[in-house]
Parts: sequence; structure tokens; C-alpha cells
Amino acid sequence: MVVEFLGIPRERAGISEMEVEAGTLGELFGALTTRCPGLRELITAKGLHPSVAANLNGDLFVSDPSTPLADDDRLLIISADAGG
Amino acid sequence: MAFGYHGRYLRIDVTRGDGQPVPLPDSILRDYLGGSGLGARLLLDEGSALVDPLSPEAPLIFAFSPLVGSPLTTSAKFAVVNKSPLTNRFNDSLASSGFAISGKRSGCDAFVIVGRAPSLSVLVIDDGAIRLEPADDLRGDTCQAAEEKLRARLGPDYRIAAIGPAGECAVRYATISHDGRHAGRGGSGAVLGSKNIKAIAVRGTQRTEYADPHRVTELSRDLSKRSFGPATAKYRELGTASNLLTFNRFGSLPTRNFQSGTFDEAPNLAPDELSVAHARTRASCVACTIGCEHIYSLGDKGVRLEYESLFALGSLCGVSDGDVVLRAARRCDELGIDTISTGGTIAFAMECVEQGLLDEPWLTFGSGDAMLRAIELIGRREGLGDLLAEGSRFAANEIGQGSIAFAPQVKGLEIPGYEPRALQTLALGFAVGARGADHNRSGAYDVDFSDKVDRRHATLDNVRHAIETEDKAALMDSLILCKFLRRVFDDFYVESAGMLRAVTGWEVTADELHETAKRIVSAKRQFNLLAGWTPDEDTLPERFLTTPLPNDPAAALTRERLQDLVAEYHRQRGW
Repeated sequence: MVVEFLGIPRERAGISEMEVEAGTLGELFGALTTRCPGLRELITAKGLHPSVAANLNGDLFVSDPSTPLADDDRLLIISADAGG
Repeated sequence: MAFGYHGRYLRIDVTRGDGQPVPLPDSILRDYLGGSGLGARLLLDEGSALVDPLSPEAPLIFAFSPLVGSPLTTSAKFAVVNKSPLTNRFNDSLASSGFAISGKRSGCDAFVIVGRAPSLSVLVIDDGAIRLEPADDLRGDTCQAAEEKLRARLGPDYRIAAIGPAGECAVRYATISHDGRHAGRGGSGAVLGSKNIKAIAVRGTQRTEYADPHRVTELSRDLSKRSFGPATAKYRELGTASNLLTFNRFGSLPTRNFQSGTFDEAPNLAPDELSVAHARTRASCVACTIGCEHIYSLGDKGVRLEYESLFALGSLCGVSDGDVVLRAARRCDELGIDTISTGGTIAFAMECVEQGLLDEPWLTFGSGDAMLRAIELIGRREGLGDLLAEGSRFAANEIGQGSIAFAPQVKGLEIPGYEPRALQTLALGFAVGARGADHNRSGAYDVDFSDKVDRRHATLDNVRHAIETEDKAALMDSLILCKFLRRVFDDFYVESAGMLRAVTGWEVTADELHETAKRIVSAKRQFNLLAGWTPDEDTLPERFLTTPLPNDPAAALTRERLQDLVAEYHRQRGW
């Protein structure tokens, strides 16, 4: 699956997107913290910092680590604070 | 009298050029706190709901707060409260920095300004004493030029809030500017201009005491420390302009007058791209540790660019040239006009031209030159600008032919940079907002960007979330603290009660502040009721209720669904 980064997560990851193999959201978070150490302030295997949000395929926002993921999913990780 | 307050406001009649202190009882201060809340209460007490907002009788209120002057980060803010000449409804707009501190040191918790000076003047408030000085030499000056000239004339210890040419000629969305920030929405600059006041200069020496100074210092240190963390990183490191790509990705970036939620050229306007040609630096308001201002170089001066200006003068008008957007934002700041209403009204006119409803063939989507020309005309009310200076609702009513269906406004206030069909909790917040469509009075986008709701299919469960964010905003605007702090707090109400206890000495609880927030929201509504509000004002333009987003058909909002949400909102409010 593909993970896209926007806002501060993009700054911390240092890239705009990457491919990751993961069966659940929790597995994905674990993989991201290994591959992108800069994200560790924002993401742990247990979940996301409140300043960050994750969205599946542009539809629903997700946070439960047991959320299943499919190979063709796109997960967007963004700064949760949308205020301007 | 409580600590943290002076216990009086200054009622200034600029017709006579004098001012009288008026006592403010503890009960009023505790019920309405300061800022927007205190301003709303004073506006009601002035009995001004039915007056013409540009008449001498219409009050213009500058309200400070118990936290102003304290070391609590982001507390150097003031609210400007008035009846809006754009909406004819309640208006409160906030700005920051030294004017708040100096204003409070004048020995008052608020200024209530009425009357009309005999000629263009500067209102000088010197430690609570009032005088008017001629301002003919400032006529036509930009906001920034007026501030600079007055600092040179009066001395560096004065803090100055000024209007630009647009405020002088009553553009109905003219701003009041101070130190590069603007009390931006709803036309308070036109109200000040209608009083023949070009600027207010204030200085003072009167400080308030704190009930528990040691505790205030402790809380301030803790809040400042937390303000450096990840909860504010977006504002500090990227600025609000970083919203642009996120919103575009979610199909919620208003484009070409809300005809689309995506803008193909959005990457051209992203902060990273702008930074290639325009060096970016950071700045902050007085007494702020976040430092959210991102200043882009443009010629010999910098331009502060926020997301709202970027969307309104960029995607909303179909303009993809970052250099043009920066120039447009700077020109709006100089003229003293609200960038959201400016961009919204121009985009509306562009669509009217596109549909053959307005014979101004030069005004086309995507033309940066046309946008810059329109801004110039609006700021001086010349040619087509005289119509557009009235705002999109008035312009639609003049143009007719059904154009009101796509005038991007609620209650006359142009919609900020959030596509309502894609963010439906916020759509409700826009519809019921006392001052019209506004992202600073309803933070419901926070809910839409979470797993609490389906952002594209609102249900009655969304209503409580909209109410919660509206209440929280009302309290933040009355304490006053910057909303960019809101994710810093573990429990905003508990921590706010702690700050208020330390400053005022009141035994305030979180429960009491929940009630205070609701009281303030109700006061704004009470003003609107007195001003003639009717239920059919709590809605969105027809476009949003009849046409799904072309780029995302799942983002559809019907009239019936919005009516149900609004009815449930009123029921839960107990209105």
C-alpha cells in the first residue's frame, strides 16, 4: 500500500509518499517509525500524536490500530489541525 | 473588584472629542470575561441593534481581557466588536500585539467609541485622557504608512491601530490594522472610517495586579513550554499556508468560486514552491511563543501570507501565479480590506462574467492582472469596485438573474477556505454562525478531520460537535488566547479556569466556564434577534444545497439535511 504525507508529517518523513507492507494500521505505524525515525515524535506503534491524523483513501479518518489495510489502500497522514 | 481588571470602560464620543469612564461591575466581568464576550455585552447594553452600522450612533468597541498584559503566551489580543456594515448582524474580529497591552494600560477594560469627528482625525488615548488630532495629512495613506507616520509624530511608546483608504471610503469589509495584523472580518474598518477616525493611538502606564502572581508565572512557563511542542509545529514551521495542499488532496479547496474542490495548479501556490522565489522568514505577535507568521519577500518588503489569503486570492479566483497572489495579499493589507471577502466577491463577479450576467469581459478566472485591478478598484470604490465594495450578497442582489444562488456568503459574510459540501460539520457551523460563515467562530473542521464523523455525510450526531467547537471558540475569544494553542491543552476548560483563578482571584470552575461560553454565544444571537434575524438566515447558498461537488459526487449536501441539522442545533441550544 501507499502512504502519503502532508504538512508536518511530510516534513518529518522527508518524503511525500512511500510504499509500505502492512496488514493493519498498527503494523503500518510500527513500520513507519522504523523507516522514518523523524516521525517517532508523532507516531508510535500504539497510535498517533493528537496533532496528526490518518485518513484511508480520502474517505474515513482512522485511528484504531486494528483497522485492516488492503494492498491497494492509500493512507494519508496529515497535520490534524486544519485551522487557518 | 477582581484582579486582572480595571473595572471600567471608557465611553468615547468623537463628535465632542471627550470620554467618560463607566464602571464595569464584577458580575458583568465574570459573566462575559473580556474580548468578544465583554464586547457583545456592551454592544447589547448600547441598544444599538437597529442603528445603521455606519451612523454616528453605532458603537465600535475595543475590548481587552483579564489575561492581556500577563506573561501567558498569546494573550496580547483584543477584540473589535460592532454591528457589521457587511451583514447588518453581530460582528467581532480579533487582532493581536502591542495595541492590546497599551490599550489595557490606559486604565480601561474596553473602549466604546460613538459619534463622528468633524473632520478626519486621530483619536489619541493617553493614559485614559482623550484628544483628537487632525489627520488630513494621513488621508489616503495605507494602513502601514499611517502607523509609521503616527509613530514618528507621537513617539515610539504609542501603539496604533489604523485604517487604509478602504476604511475611509466605507468598503463594507474594510479592516482595522495594527502591527501587520488585522481585525479583519465584517467591516470594522468601515465603521471606524464612518466616524472620521483614521487611527487610534494609545499608550498607558496603568497595570493590573494578579491575585496569585507566583501561580501566574508558573502557569505561563508551563504553557510556553508546551507551546513549543508538536501541537503547534504546523503553525511554527510551515504556517497556515500549508493547508493548501492538504485541502486540495481532500477535495475541499474552494476553487473558481466554489465550482470545484480541487485546483490543478495548487502545487504552484504551496509554501515550498513560493519559498523558491521568495525568501521566507518568521515573526510573531508580542507575547507569543508560537511565531506563526511566515513572511515572504517581495521587492523591498515582506508579505505575511496566511492560508485564507492564499486560497481567496489564489484558487478561489483561479489564479495560480504565486507572485501575483503575494502582490494581491500585500495590496489588500495596504488598502485595509479583508482578503477573504475581497477574494470571495471578486470570484463571484468572475463567475457572473463567465455566465454572461456581468459585462466586464476583462474580469476572468485565472487572470492575475484582472484580480489585481479589481482589488485596486474596490479599495477606492472606483468603477466596478463601487459595487464590489458592498460584498457579494449586495452585488448579487444588484446583478440579479439568480446569481444569489452562487454568491459565496452566509448572512452576507464571504465563506472562508473550506468547502462546505466536503466538510459538513463545518457547513453547519457556517450556517448558524452569528457573524456569518466563519472558521474562527466555528472550529468544526477539527471534527471533520477526525474519526468522530463522516465529513461528507453529516448526521444529527454532528450537531453536538459543532456546538462544542463554537463554545470553545467563544471562550478563547473572550479570555483571550490564540486558537493556535487549542491542541496544547489537555482539558481546555480546566486549564482556563486555573488561569482565571490565578489572575482574577475568582473561584472559577470548568463547569462555570462551560456556562460562560454558552452565555457569550447566546449574547451574540440576542443581538442578531434584536437586529432582525430570521430563521431563514441560518443556511448556505443554494449552490451548496443542490449541486454535489463535481470532483467528489459523494460530497453532497441537501437543503433538507441542512435544515434538519440547523433545527437540531437550535434545539440543543435551547433557542
